[in-house]
Amino acid sequence: MENELLGLKDEAAKSLAAVESKSGLEDFRVKYLGRKGLFSAVMRKLGQVPKEDRPRVGKLANQIKQDLEGDFTAQLAALDSQTPATQLTGIDLTLPGRHVPFGKLHPVTQIMDEVCGIFEGLGFAVAEGPDVETDFYNFEALNIPPHHPARDMHDTFYVDDKVLLRTHTSPMQARIMENERPPLRVIAPGKVYRCDSDITHTPMFHQVEGFLVDRKISFADLKGVLSVFVAKMFDSKTAIRFRPSFFPFTEPSAEIDISCVICHGKGCRVCKHTGWLEILGAGLIDPEVFNRVGYDPEEYSGFAFGLGIERIAMLKYGINDIRLYYENDLRFLTQF
Amino acid sequence: MKFTLDWLKQYVDVKMTVAELADRLTMAGLEVDAVENLSHELNKVHVAEILEVRSHPDADRLVLCDVAVGDEKKQIVCGAPNAKAGMLSPLALPGAVLPGGVKIKKGKIRGQVSEGMLCSARDLGISEDHLGIMELPQDLTSGEDIVQALNLKDILIDVDLTPNRPDCASVIGIGREVAGFCNSRLKQPVDSSELPRLTGQGVPFSVDVQSVKDCPRYAARLLTGVKVGPSPWWLQKCLLAIGLRPINNIVDITNFVMLETGQPLHAFDFKKLTGGKIVVRKAASGETITTLDGQERELDPDMLMICDAEKPVAVAGVMGGANSEVDSETTEILLESACFDPISIRRTSRRLKLNTDASFRFERGVDPQGAPLALERVVRLIVDGGAQVVADGIDACYDIKEPPVLHLRIQRTCDLLGMNFTGEELTAFLSGIEFDVKQLDDDTLSVTPPSFRVDIEREIDLVEEIARLKGYNEIPTSLPVVPMSFPEHDEARDLRKQLADIMTSLGFYEAINYSFVAEKHFDMLDLPENDPLRQTVRLMNPLAEDQNVMRTTLLPGLLENVRRNVNHQVADIKLFEIGKVFHPHAGNLLPDEKFRLTAVLSGRRAPGSPVIHFKNQETDFLDAKGVAETILRELQLIQIELLPTDSIISYGAAGNIVELRTNDHVIGHCGQISAKILKTFGIRQDVFYLDLDFDALSSLEQGRKAFSPLPRYPAVKWDLAVLVADTVGGGEILKSIKEADEPLFEHAEIFDLFHGDHIESGRKSVAISITYRSKECTLDDETVGKAHQKMTDMVLSRFKGQLREV
Repeated sequence: MENELLGLKDEAAKSLAAVESKSGLEDFRVKYLGRKGLFSAVMRKLGQVPKEDRPRVGKLANQIKQDLEGDFTAQLAALDSQTPATQLTGIDLTLPGRHVPFGKLHPVTQIMDEVCGIFEGLGFAVAEGPDVETDFYNFEALNIPPHHPARDMHDTFYVDDKVLLRTHTSPMQARIMENERPPLRVIAPGKVYRCDSDITHTPMFHQVEGFLVDRKISFADLKGVLSVFVAKMFDSKTAIRFRPSFFPFTEPSAEIDISCVICHGKGCRVCKHTGWLEILGAGLIDPEVFNRVGYDPEEYSGFAFGLGIERIAMLKYGINDIRLYYENDLRFLTQF
Repeated sequence: MKFTLDWLKQYVDVKMTVAELADRLTMAGLEVDAVENLSHELNKVHVAEILEVRSHPDADRLVLCDVAVGDEKKQIVCGAPNAKAGMLSPLALPGAVLPGGVKIKKGKIRGQVSEGMLCSARDLGISEDHLGIMELPQDLTSGEDIVQALNLKDILIDVDLTPNRPDCASVIGIGREVAGFCNSRLKQPVDSSELPRLTGQGVPFSVDVQSVKDCPRYAARLLTGVKVGPSPWWLQKCLLAIGLRPINNIVDITNFVMLETGQPLHAFDFKKLTGGKIVVRKAASGETITTLDGQERELDPDMLMICDAEKPVAVAGVMGGANSEVDSETTEILLESACFDPISIRRTSRRLKLNTDASFRFERGVDPQGAPLALERVVRLIVDGGAQVVADGIDACYDIKEPPVLHLRIQRTCDLLGMNFTGEELTAFLSGIEFDVKQLDDDTLSVTPPSFRVDIEREIDLVEEIARLKGYNEIPTSLPVVPMSFPEHDEARDLRKQLADIMTSLGFYEAINYSFVAEKHFDMLDLPENDPLRQTVRLMNPLAEDQNVMRTTLLPGLLENVRRNVNHQVADIKLFEIGKVFHPHAGNLLPDEKFRLTAVLSGRRAPGSPVIHFKNQETDFLDAKGVAETILRELQLIQIELLPTDSIISYGAAGNIVELRTNDHVIGHCGQISAKILKTFGIRQDVFYLDLDFDALSSLEQGRKAFSPLPRYPAVKWDLAVLVADTVGGGEILKSIKEADEPLFEHAEIFDLFHGDHIESGRKSVAISITYRSKECTLDDETVGKAHQKMTDMVLSRFKGQLREV
């Protein structure tokens, strides 16, 4: 029995060394290590071995089987390493994979969500208002009476004498303040409309209005909140400057520029060689706006700001033609 | 507001570079929009005198000019109609590069040598004038460099004025700001102490202001012995630089002084004024006037007019009339320098659709004290040109607004700006820009703004001035200290986001289309005449006819997107839009605004994937339905059923539409767009769609997320194959199994469906796999067998089916 085992071991070792292909290896496995193989056949005779020899012979048999299996695995690995990876399984591993379709939000929505997310992180609530708005909320409640020259800043689509498409998201200031009492922290995202169309203007675009009203709110607070916004929206190295401007519903009013994200302040076509890009309008809420909603401007103060989403998306992604936003060309939409 | 650096320097020392100046102006709230070098680096262009003009031997339209450039004589071929001997004109010599990029070379034109080019004003970038070569003033010297001779080395600055600063719609106004931040003195061309007192004594004309509210001041003077002709170059240059066309010395001077002082002025030909009379009154109804631009304009009784004894001669504050225009024959002029009510002027200018430099200034408010000063400046300039002025004039002053006396609280200023100031600091800032300041008590300053700052009416206006003068960037940065609170979420908005996430997960890209659409879209969708979708909110002033109504459906926009993409060879399309539609609401001022979710699918099922993996997998009806089912599953809206519909949807392919129903409400549908509609949209491939009323969807009770324990015992699957009539819906069989009230039933799905092959026509085979499971034990064959038999019997009897051997 022992001799038979040792003979089988030698024979198997020689046979394995001669194997050159995977099919040969499989033949080897079946012949020696398979359930009906030679090794099993020998093992079945173990019962005929005298009882006292059985543990020793059994141990030897196990040892030989383990060795053979180890050699077999090693030979298999050796053969695999010689075979090109692409031929191992019959699958062409260089083919592109199978893709489950995957969609994305419009870049305007992506930026809108990012902007809203920053202000929501600062505790601002989100409110939405109507696109078709009254002249009252769009203008008069914001201290822009009929025949005010500031109306020239808004090319307005009218539905009739009293109804229009909102030209900014600022009417939400009046709508919310009319119904709620301070303290207030609100942003109002949405679509706005101006009758203007060229490479830098579309007749519909998106704005986010924001305002905060409480006791003792100062211009310094406005600067602080908008500085946080710019640092989060762009990065903390982005320079920011405030300069005087005019909006009838804020005073003092400011426009906020950031250092050009394209040339980093050196001067380029996008920033008209000034190194600065205008991205926000803002200011302390005008006492007249408070008077109209019944807040005492001596008791409360606050700030408001507004920004254009398309402009920020253009700056962040380098989009050079605003009209692309509303053509819904998949070659455009898949880029973001 | 445009001006040049040289012009500005007449009133103030500019002690800084142009770049610094632009930056300081911008930071003072006068945003510099453009800075442009006017000389365009012109080189090798000289003043030349035309000595003789000869005809070109071989060209009718060309002439040969013998010109002198200093001591040199040259022959130039020229095509201008106005070349004549004795004229001075700019000559570009070989090597010159003109602003348009033209390089000048010596050459032959039709066989004749040309040693340069005589230039028009446009060639040199001076103006748009290209009718002939530029005729230079006779006092220039031949041979002189043109940049020096015409003083072209100047810089144009364009400031984007905000509506609150009409005082800066003048070079002096800008100069005043510059003087403020340069710490230099403003030099006024006329000192206010030198103004003559106008008493109206013995003047040969009269002024009768009948509408005092609209015209609080009207000053006028008469000049005689006027010679109308071209303006001197310095004046022309100022106007040309900012893009105004010089007309004649009188008109040019009034324009110049308006730009200089901000006070609009007008010159009438006095002999054309009937009765030597100025009457300021509202137009009579039916009156008309032909304005200086040659247009006849109908007037209404709200419009303020300047009239003579008989008729309107000017639209007050907007534009003069042709009937009193100064022309080459004019020898006597009546000069007007008036103050008009901003609202009145704005209304008139809107109504006439006529915006002028004058109306721009009056609408925003001119200095009520500025009229006499500007009038005196014009008088002096015209008299300098050789005219006489009638000694006295009229200054009819009625209701001139006095500057307000304002109280500025120091503590209030500090609180609003978030930084500390002393009374002395505030006083210094305001005094520096000509405000009159007195300290009333520890906390209060009494402040009177100068008359030209018509925008300063309240304490907050002063606070803004302080912030501006301190510099916004000098104000510290802080974060507000506010009570903590949780901002409530808008649930509908959250649901829209959730829907958008589902759609993108399903491979759809989000589209955003304009809210206004073409009314013709409704015809393109074949909507019946009385379809509620045709009830629209209409725009009074659309940009284009195809954007004239607010949308009532999102579908046309998305179909246009499909066409556009297919045309650009992107044929595999999955797009969705979540957006508002607008429906007029009778009795309400504002329309109803409702959100919808609409999606379109077309082309291959797996856009963007290699074709090899998805051969022949074109989108079909069941893809659209699958999207609807996924939405309902994810939102746990089990109360909605998807049912085939008999109702006709004009744009849907017949028999290929299902409705999303809850009880009796249809909240949307999905299916295929009919071939006819696709043709009208120019789409030549199948399109499937899904259209949901979001507001209806969001009003439904959503199921709550709730845990159910994982099963402890294995399930068994038994199959059932039945032959049923073609008209029986596979989904109906599934539904009946699910509703069969079998406690062991867990799930059923159809795994095969076929016709033909040993199956009689009109019938089909439906193979269903049913999963059974017990919560209490592992099921044995006998128990399952009983349940399955019951299920089989139910299906066979209910759908008149026959069992088929599997």
